[in-house]
Amino acid sequence: MSALTQTARPSLLRRWGGLALWLLLLLLLAIYPYTGVTGSTLFTATQVFVLVTLASNWNLIGGMTGYVDFGHAVFFGLGAYSMGILVTRVPLAFSPELSFWQALPLAGLVAALFALIIGLPTLRLKGPYFSIAMLGTFVAMREIIRILRPITGGGTGLDLPPVLNRVNEYYFMLGLMGLVVALIWWIRRSEFGYTLIAIREDEIGAEMRGINTTVHKIIAFMIAAFFTGIVGAFWAWQNTYIDPDVVFIEQRTVEMVMMSMLGGLGTVWGPPLGAVVIYFLQDVVWGNLLNFHLMALGILLILLVLFLPEGILGSLGDPSSTSLGRLLRRAGRGRE
Amino acid sequence: MNSQQPLLEGRDVYKFFGGLAAVNGVDFAVYPGEIVGLIGPNGSGKTTLFDCLTRLQSIDRGQIFFKGQEITHARPYQVARMGLARTFQVIRVYRKMTVLENMLISRQWRGEGLLDMLRPSHPDTERRARELIRFLQIEHLTDELAGHLSGGQRRLLEIGMALMPDPDILLLDEATSGINPTLIEIIKDRIRTLNREQGKTFLLIEHNINFIADLCSRVYVLNFGEKLAEGAPEEIMENEAVIEAYFGA
Repeated sequence: MSALTQTARPSLLRRWGGLALWLLLLLLLAIYPYTGVTGSTLFTATQVFVLVTLASNWNLIGGMTGYVDFGHAVFFGLGAYSMGILVTRVPLAFSPELSFWQALPLAGLVAALFALIIGLPTLRLKGPYFSIAMLGTFVAMREIIRILRPITGGGTGLDLPPVLNRVNEYYFMLGLMGLVVALIWWIRRSEFGYTLIAIREDEIGAEMRGINTTVHKIIAFMIAAFFTGIVGAFWAWQNTYIDPDVVFIEQRTVEMVMMSMLGGLGTVWGPPLGAVVIYFLQDVVWGNLLNFHLMALGILLILLVLFLPEGILGSLGDPSSTSLGRLLRRAGRGRE
Repeated sequence: MNSQQPLLEGRDVYKFFGGLAAVNGVDFAVYPGEIVGLIGPNGSGKTTLFDCLTRLQSIDRGQIFFKGQEITHARPYQVARMGLARTFQVIRVYRKMTVLENMLISRQWRGEGLLDMLRPSHPDTERRARELIRFLQIEHLTDELAGHLSGGQRRLLEIGMALMPDPDILLLDEATSGINPTLIEIIKDRIRTLNREQGKTFLLIEHNINFIADLCSRVYVLNFGEKLAEGAPEEIMENEAVIEAYFGA
């Protein structure tokens, strides 16, 4: 039973327990910097928060709505470059030298606006065609940024004002991550969330039953783009330097997809779980297989698709219909 | 001749797939409160006509009217919101949602904004969903995932989903296909009740001639995309052209 079924009430714990645990975790994480940890540890934690936020955003369009976006990092890049252009002291055709807080919402809006413009044609495409169209958009945007040198600094990149404050960065991303995951939790339980799932399950059936699928898809796309753009903007600020080849990297989208898949597509807590697991797996792989880490990640992705397509949390939901569940049942029958 | 305005009307409807005329100049009308049958051999264009009426397919020529308004170029969701609901030849339910959730998501849409939709479902919506679930005798399956239901149970759910927005007309595409006789009688009884007590209008595609004969006041027969015959069930069953179309010369 879900919050959609308001009058058939499950227990209070079941309805609000997940959010309560999330808020408790946020509280503990808020106290964490006061436990004597180093700046380096805070930086690591901040990177995990970035991954959780990116995965949760991608999950809204890729997991819940079923539109697998292979170019979602374009919104990260647009956010990063919006922040860069708006705050840089480098003389460009347009450099208003705004503050971080002035530039931040604008960066998100730029990403959301681009999602609206590109979403109108691309969200008409189905399945792999949408995925490829977004990948193409990502690649094209990288080159456009490179070409528009008077505005973006081109291939030589842009320097942002150097501000090093690990604690502030930690709390900013903690707050953003907390907000985004809580928003996804709420959406998942609302009529809007169930509409997105209906679109994922059967878009034609949804349209035939009165759902304006175009509007719903566009809204989900814009929400996901907005917060991804915000993360990109933060990343640019933290990094203090951006160029097209540093910002627009395909691996960023691959990571979002893998984190969501590993944790559980369409679930609320799956992508955050997947993000944490992926981060520490990458750390282990980097530390022990430096020359082969991309290959190792590729193998992991293949194994994931083959044996755990529903992800960790997705597999726990309905063992009779998941690959892992079926595998374990077969193994159990073999031992009898 | 019925002096009322038709509830659903198609005028000179054509639908081509390449060189093939799937619907070839069909005129028809369904009046309020009727139960009308649409029969014909396999490949005669029945489902294609349904798809055109509900705007799942666009037509190549002709016009379609619903409640007096032309819907020839409307989007499917717009037609659904006007009060036209359908089921499908191949059952379409949301398999990873429960029966109740399937019903709730099929509710009547009133053009709410995003803020309205970020709330859980209204209590009246859930009340109606539960009433319909009871009406269709699938109450024991309320919390089951739709993907776990049998074919017949999914048929009943799909009918429930079509009823949920309180439509003016229901287009049922082979609602008795592949289900047992007991369930067929339940469906027949529910259609009669809805028609008699709520004035619901039905257009039924069926291969089950007895089902059509028991329920329908009028029947259209299609063959090779064209209207072959129209009339009361007993007239249709004695029509030589119809007999030839089904059984050959």
